[in-house]
Amino acid sequence: MTEMFLTLEGVTAAYSNMEALRRVNVQVEKGKIACLLGSNGAGKSTLIKAILGLVKVVEGRITFDGEDITREKTHRVVRRGISIVPEGKRIFPKMTTIENLRMGAYIEQDEQAIEERLERVFELFPRLEERAHQIAGTMSGGEQSMLSIGRGLMSSPRLMIFDEPSLGLAPILVEQNFETIQRINEEGTTVFLVEQNASLTLEIASYGYVLQKGKVVAEGTAEQLTDSEVIQSAYLKS
Amino acid sequence: MTFLDILLQQSINGLMLGIMYSLVAVGFTLYFGVLDVINFAHGDFFMLGGFMALMLYAIAEAVGFAGNALVVVIYLFIGSMILTGVVGVVTERVCVKPVSKAPMLISLLVTLGLGIAIREAVRVLYPRGSDPKGFPTLMPQGSFNVGNIVIRYENLIIFGLGIAVIMAVNFLINRTKMGAAIRAVAQDGEAAMMMGVDLDRTIDITFLIGSAVAAVAGIMNGFYYGQTMFNIGAMMGVIGFSAAVIGGLGNIYGAIVGGILFGLLETFAAAALPYGAENKRVFAFLIVILFLVFRPTGILGEKIFERV
Ligand SMILES: Nc1ncnc2c1ncn2[C@@H]1O[C@H](COP(=O)(O)OP(=O)(O)O)[C@@H](O)[C@H]1O
Ligand SMILES: [Mg+2]
Repeated sequence: MTEMFLTLEGVTAAYSNMEALRRVNVQVEKGKIACLLGSNGAGKSTLIKAILGLVKVVEGRITFDGEDITREKTHRVVRRGISIVPEGKRIFPKMTTIENLRMGAYIEQDEQAIEERLERVFELFPRLEERAHQIAGTMSGGEQSMLSIGRGLMSSPRLMIFDEPSLGLAPILVEQNFETIQRINEEGTTVFLVEQNASLTLEIASYGYVLQKGKVVAEGTAEQLTDSEVIQSAYLKS
Repeated sequence: MTFLDILLQQSINGLMLGIMYSLVAVGFTLYFGVLDVINFAHGDFFMLGGFMALMLYAIAEAVGFAGNALVVVIYLFIGSMILTGVVGVVTERVCVKPVSKAPMLISLLVTLGLGIAIREAVRVLYPRGSDPKGFPTLMPQGSFNVGNIVIRYENLIIFGLGIAVIMAVNFLINRTKMGAAIRAVAQDGEAAMMMGVDLDRTIDITFLIGSAVAAVAGIMNGFYYGQTMFNIGAMMGVIGFSAAVIGGLGNIYGAIVGGILFGLLETFAAAALPYGAENKRVFAFLIVILFLVFRPTGILGEKIFERV
């Protein structure tokens, strides 16, 4: 039995008057890595904002773990166990590494648990431990990317959403990030990976959707998508 | 008195005023951080703080709760901080937050209007509200000398209190989880929400802190001058805003430094310049203008729209 963890049913979302998502259906299976592919401006980030209640959902329904979360306030959605590694990292530039990581555990009251998670993040990214007291805004792009992922892990989420983790990073760092994402998934966290980089993404994802101009134009298993016309022509042309 | 004595004496007076200005400036900086607005009504919360204390004192007298002066002073401060803080949160919800996303010009007009409304409300609602209102003498009077410098007990207490409040604010903002939420919102509101921060609640708390701290300054001002008046908020608003900008808007330490600097400038001008007493603020603002021309980012600011 497959269990759908996150579902979007016929979701339309709009900025003031401009529709950016049109009747989108997406499902993320528990324990797996699902991906959403699409080029710049396709509406990928908007879809994430719709889940998080950061953009107006005009119609449709979003559920998480069987419960309706459509139009729920962002902090409430997050408290249900969803964490996001946003596009452009969005670390707190004037806080130190540690302070950023602690912000990631903002919803956690148990200091013991926070300490344990800090250790886990430092084990995953030894570099962050070296930079523990550095002001985040002064760190390199790669380090900030690690910090953003580490911060996302600090709430011990059940579902982790990544919005273009490869954006602006050197290829070697992109590969490292993808390995980390795979590892996070293997340790039990469901992942929803939003990317432009189709080839790498389809290597680690099990199921995926392709978004174009706010609409889902293709979906299928990673193998199906890799062979599909739309991916071959738009994303994997070599 | 030697020149050095005069200098020291004026420094002490300037520090006193400066702490008061810092307390007001901190509010400007906090609001700017979380909401991107400059709240020009903030000076009137300073004024309101003083009047709330007067009202609470009148109530205490009416019911015969005189007692220990220390207890009364604590009651006045706490009571006024709560009442002024609540008014601060209510006005934030009703008219500051709703315009925070609008162009700067709109929030400027709305907050200026809000300030006038508060001022006029006090004038109309407080008994004989147009007159200067005497502050009760609750602090120990008298003074002591350090060398040739005279220090009044009352001022020392007010000064100590101001420092304590500044330290408390600093602790709140930089050392607590609530403060971390405020700083996170100031740096990236959407990212803060993604961490589970309740944005609206954080904005409320920020205005609660900002107005309560302005109330403290308003009461200090009342004790310092022995009186207050419904219209003192306008000037204090401009001073507090200037202090925040000198320090680098958005930076808490900057607001504190800016406030103290303004206080020092003013007292030195009053003491050292011909016709200084009447024109001390002209001089202080002149320095502010010159300063901003040459360093528009403020003392501690990296850029003018820097955040907490
Ligand atoms: N805050 C916004 N206000 C108005 N339009 C927006 C906003 N953010 C994105 N858009 C528009 O919505 C569309 C989808 O954008 P986005 O979801 O960011 O795409 P992607 O993440 O796939 O690159 C684009 O046409 C973009 O211009
Ligand atoms: Mg995007």
